[in-house]
Amino acid sequence: MIRVSDLWRKFGRFETLRGLSFEVPDGSAFAIIGANGAGKTTTIKVLMNILEPTQGSATVLGVDSRKLSIRELAQIGYVSENQDMPSRLTVEEYTNYLRPFYSTWDRDLERTIAKQLRLPFDRKIGNLSHGMRMKMALMCALPYRPKLLILDEPFSGLDPLVRDEFMEGLLGQAGEMTIFISSHELGEIDGVATHIAFVDEGKLLFQESMSDLTGRFREIRVILEGVATRPSDAPKEWMAMQLTGNVLTFVDTQFDEAGLRELVRSRIGNVRMIDSQPMPLRSIFTTLARAARDGSA
Amino acid sequence: MVWHIFKKDWKLLWVFVLAAASLHWIGSFIVFKLGMFGEETSLSMLSFWIPELAIFGSMFLIAAIVHLEAIPGTRQDWLTRPVPRGILLLEKFLFGLIAVEGPIFISSVFQGLANGFSWRSSLLAALSRVVFLLFFLVLPIFAFASITRNMTEAFIMGCGCTFILGAFLILAGSVNTWMHNTLLGVTHTGIGWIGEVFRFFLVAIAATIILGLQYYRRKTTAARLWLIGFGLLLLASTFLPWEPAFAIEERLSPNRGAGKSTQLAFEPSEEKFKSPFGLLASAESDKRRESREAAEVYLPLRIAGTGNDSILLVDRADVHLIDRSRGSYYHGLGDTFSLAREGSNPQEESLYQQIDIPAPIFRKVADESSKIRIDYSLTLFGLNKSYSLAALDGDERMPGWGWCKTALNESGTAVEVRCMEPGKGPICASIFLENSLSGARDPAVSACLSEYRLFGDRPMSDNVARFGVNLPFRDKSGLTKFPVDGSQLPHSRVVIRMYEPEDHFTRSLDIPGIKLKDWQAQ
Repeated sequence: MIRVSDLWRKFGRFETLRGLSFEVPDGSAFAIIGANGAGKTTTIKVLMNILEPTQGSATVLGVDSRKLSIRELAQIGYVSENQDMPSRLTVEEYTNYLRPFYSTWDRDLERTIAKQLRLPFDRKIGNLSHGMRMKMALMCALPYRPKLLILDEPFSGLDPLVRDEFMEGLLGQAGEMTIFISSHELGEIDGVATHIAFVDEGKLLFQESMSDLTGRFREIRVILEGVATRPSDAPKEWMAMQLTGNVLTFVDTQFDEAGLRELVRSRIGNVRMIDSQPMPLRSIFTTLARAARDGSA
Repeated sequence: MVWHIFKKDWKLLWVFVLAAASLHWIGSFIVFKLGMFGEETSLSMLSFWIPELAIFGSMFLIAAIVHLEAIPGTRQDWLTRPVPRGILLLEKFLFGLIAVEGPIFISSVFQGLANGFSWRSSLLAALSRVVFLLFFLVLPIFAFASITRNMTEAFIMGCGCTFILGAFLILAGSVNTWMHNTLLGVTHTGIGWIGEVFRFFLVAIAATIILGLQYYRRKTTAARLWLIGFGLLLLASTFLPWEPAFAIEERLSPNRGAGKSTQLAFEPSEEKFKSPFGLLASAESDKRRESREAAEVYLPLRIAGTGNDSILLVDRADVHLIDRSRGSYYHGLGDTFSLAREGSNPQEESLYQQIDIPAPIFRKVADESSKIRIDYSLTLFGLNKSYSLAALDGDERMPGWGWCKTALNESGTAVEVRCMEPGKGPICASIFLENSLSGARDPAVSACLSEYRLFGDRPMSDNVARFGVNLPFRDKSGLTKFPVDGSQLPHSRVVIRMYEPEDHFTRSLDIPGIKLKDWQAQ
């Protein structure tokens, strides 16, 4: 659905994207995560042909992003937190305006989504709150049943109620569509994304399926016989290492239960107990973000 | 789809469209109410400001139309929608034509019809105005707005461009003065329209490239560079040289060869020019004070072969002072003048070519023998039609000339003749007072413009040309006696002899071995 290879984008001398490469499988819910300024929005703008890459390429629906035509755009839904829509039109006027551009626009679906999202049709877009505007953007992106839905920081600034309504609207109509979502609100992605890519300073740190990711990350707690010391030859997969008395904790980024015990014993010595716990996405993200910041990722 | 987008734009902009249209219509109504003699000063002032404001409003509207779907930027929702770019461009263009040019067209047609002109002439004049505005307002602002994100950016960049243009004009004007008015070529001359047509093409090409780049490829940086490039070309077009432009004008002569027997010669047997005294002395001394940095040289001329009922107009006199050792040491422009040969037996009058030579140059060469070469660009006008109307409260419509009225001026010393005509209007006439009973005539006032444009150029108010002359019949000081005086006015008519250009041609005059001091004005 989307293929990005060696993508670079510079703004003046500042490199926002630095050789980014990833692939989004058909039918997946692909989340691109990263801290603010990591290059998520720039990536999306390149995918939508709003920005041109400085180097490298991106293909969307099999077409070079620079050559996206109205045929492809009619199959892409786009929702962004900072989308400029005609503020002096009402919600109804704008949907009436958009409808003829999409041959697949389903009016019944439009009504269903509008009802679900509880949108005031007679209100001017400029008078909508941020949350309402996001819901409206979603409503304008779904009724034509796009093959690809691109969401750029859709949850940013939404209160929990609106967030829930937004997610219900989204998930209710997801069907077979591929969803590409950028966010740093990891809690929201946790239940949605099937695949994940982590970017930092314009570079991809990893890309894999959610199940693989959560499977290989574990928080490890090692209780030793004596006072714990930092092993000098700890493998690089062990991150965020901390010592407290005789307890050593770290994050294993390549978790393998059998291998871990052997490795811990060989590197640390007298181990009384090893405990491994699955990690929530938020913890994985913060671990990776810190490691990236410290240069150890 | 064009209509669909149009309706959306109309919904968003109808208030602005109506506001700009109202300004045009109000301006047009004020100009109409002002009438032929324009005596109401408050209306007169409004007739200047409202149309200016209306044009400014139209500029704002064009930018607003474009900015509804701004091209530079990364946040616009429309960029992610399957909106065909070509359709969008077409819609914006049509919206500009209908919402911006439409009201201007209507106000121009109103102006023509309200003043009693025919539908045909009113429509043609209005069409000419909107075509002119298309190239000099709609397309440039359209292209300019397409490279800006919003009105603020457009305003700031517009101010920058205006500043650069102003600085350029000041600089070019200064260099032109330093080069004795030879730098600016055809600009502000009768054949300046050739430069304007060249600029039409430049604007059309620039707009095509910039709008194409923006709407089809969103290459704002490249489009901005093109804009700068074309802007420089437009500025450079003010230096369009005279000779090739006049050669084009020559080819467009309606009766080519009509001036072939025209001869110009230096007439040293004529007496030296003497500055007039009496009534004109004060004005003349003022002029002398102003130009004390220049020496005025008057060369007596004899012009033959122009034929009767004709007017010869000097469009440009290119003067070179040459000597053997230094070559051409001065290049400047001589004063332009006209020579009227009216009637079957026209009177011969002394004719002088005035040349203002910078004082330092004059002081250096005044006593030396020099050669003067004057390259003349000339236009021969032939009598086309003759009309007359009552000297007092006359009101006539004269085909090809326009609608004229006459009235006595406030001080009771002259007959005011005021006329209007849709379009560019006539350019040459001799007008005089004639007693219908006795046949006595006052001296004619020849009013000929070196102005050969094919189209009107009044984008601000309307496309109705307004013109007129004052015909004096009484001198308050009593020094001048007029054959047709105030007492004869009830039996007198204003005669308008209308001339049309027949031939544009050039002549060169070489005067060898002349001492400039011998011909300096006394």
